[in-house]
Amino acid sequence: MDETTLIRSAQAGDQDAFEQLVRGYDQGVLRLAHRLLGSSEDAYDIYQEAFLRVYKNLHQFRFDCSFQTWLYRIVTNLCLDTLRKRKVRKEEPATIETAEGPRDRMSMVEDESAGNDPQRNLLSTELKQRIDSTLKDLTPRERMVFEMRHYEGMRLRAIGKALGTTEEAAKNCLFRATQKMRAALGDFV
Amino acid sequence: MKCDVLQRNLSLFLYGELSFEEEEKAQNHLATCAECQAALARTEQLHQILNVRDSEVPDGLLISARKGLRERIAVEKTVRPTVPFWQKLEAWIGTPSWILRPAAAMVVIGASFVGGRMSNVPVASAPTVIAEPIAMTVRNVATDPSGNGIQIALDETRQRIVQGSLEDPSIQKLLLVAAREPSDPGIRAESVEMLCSRSQEAAIRDALLHSVEHDQNEGVRLRALTGLKSYAQDSETRQVLSRILLQDEDPGIRTQAIDLLTQEPNADLVGTLQQLLRDEENDYVRSRTQRVLQQMNASPGIY
Repeated sequence: MDETTLIRSAQAGDQDAFEQLVRGYDQGVLRLAHRLLGSSEDAYDIYQEAFLRVYKNLHQFRFDCSFQTWLYRIVTNLCLDTLRKRKVRKEEPATIETAEGPRDRMSMVEDESAGNDPQRNLLSTELKQRIDSTLKDLTPRERMVFEMRHYEGMRLRAIGKALGTTEEAAKNCLFRATQKMRAALGDFV
Repeated sequence: MKCDVLQRNLSLFLYGELSFEEEEKAQNHLATCAECQAALARTEQLHQILNVRDSEVPDGLLISARKGLRERIAVEKTVRPTVPFWQKLEAWIGTPSWILRPAAAMVVIGASFVGGRMSNVPVASAPTVIAEPIAMTVRNVATDPSGNGIQIALDETRQRIVQGSLEDPSIQKLLLVAAREPSDPGIRAESVEMLCSRSQEAAIRDALLHSVEHDQNEGVRLRALTGLKSYAQDSETRQVLSRILLQDEDPGIRTQAIDLLTQEPNADLVGTLQQLLRDEENDYVRSRTQRVLQQMNASPGIY
């Protein structure tokens, strides 16, 4: 069944068609939310809220853009809201205080795997910390565009549509983000 | 294209996001400029190291997210009517819904009119929404006695949404049942809290007294206690409060019970407080009890 037929069936109340439609996109949505927000709980919440909104509003979908664009408009709005709230609250510090001083949350999980080269681990840990902290310093929009382009491989045209802006504006966001990443990570190259 | 312009746009070049003309110019420049070739190699490396962070979604998260969504949609279906039929029709034939809506409205009005003539129940304000069955078991399968078909006996569990005000006796009746729902303390707590505002009614007060004395959950007991505040003089309420003062495991509830009982201190209370003081392990409750006994000019011990 092609996507248009799936959407029409789902709009008519066909639950199987709706599930099939969700399954076409839900891995990407979960991955984006997880990477952007860095937490399984938040990614889970975004997934639920996004697809529930799709379920509630699918009857209003008029095929005037692609379903992917429509879905990602919902997902990016939800993620941007969460990122903006975090910027205001400055919640979830990326580091945890330990006896050896502050350490990155992610690195503590990684370090538990045995048999790794300690020096390489240290470098990798430092690099990850630097990437994470640079990403956190991006504006929510820059962050969103960068994540969607670099990690999700989406085209700027699609990203612009999902964010309700032009391809050119998305390109400017990506340009600023990559400049900041380059400035912060230049010494690792 | 100049070196500085190209070098600033190398990431966009690698992402393939430059325009056709820009990319042509970049490739022509790169073919002859060693400095920009080196810069391109560094940018490629930068893109690679960014993938160090490319974390995977934890195992099981997708499955639990899909399960969670199915459950939320099932709940959504019970509180929300399914897609209006004109939208189903629209999805089917591709006609905008605004064309179909007046026709649909006429049908609804017609149905109400016919329904109104056939029964006294107003169709438009039906207070219940009955959902599809959430569980179903086939109990029996047999040939139809007439020999023309099959008879299947089903046990179905359906969810029904009932709406109404707290003054509505049928709503009160359901809340009283919910206040004793054994499987979910959250439902008991919510129901008890709602019933608290109608504690002037004897049946509701009885339910609150039962909850405050017998509910397993301290949150529910505490809420029920709140609903009994205005009845601290009532003899039956005082008897229950005296019992929970000596029996309840939660010191917060014992303290609340002391507060309620001492709104109207009387001689009967002295014995209870003296017994409490003898057995009480919580320092705060002990000192509170001692203070009340002092205020009542009673001795702290039983002689």
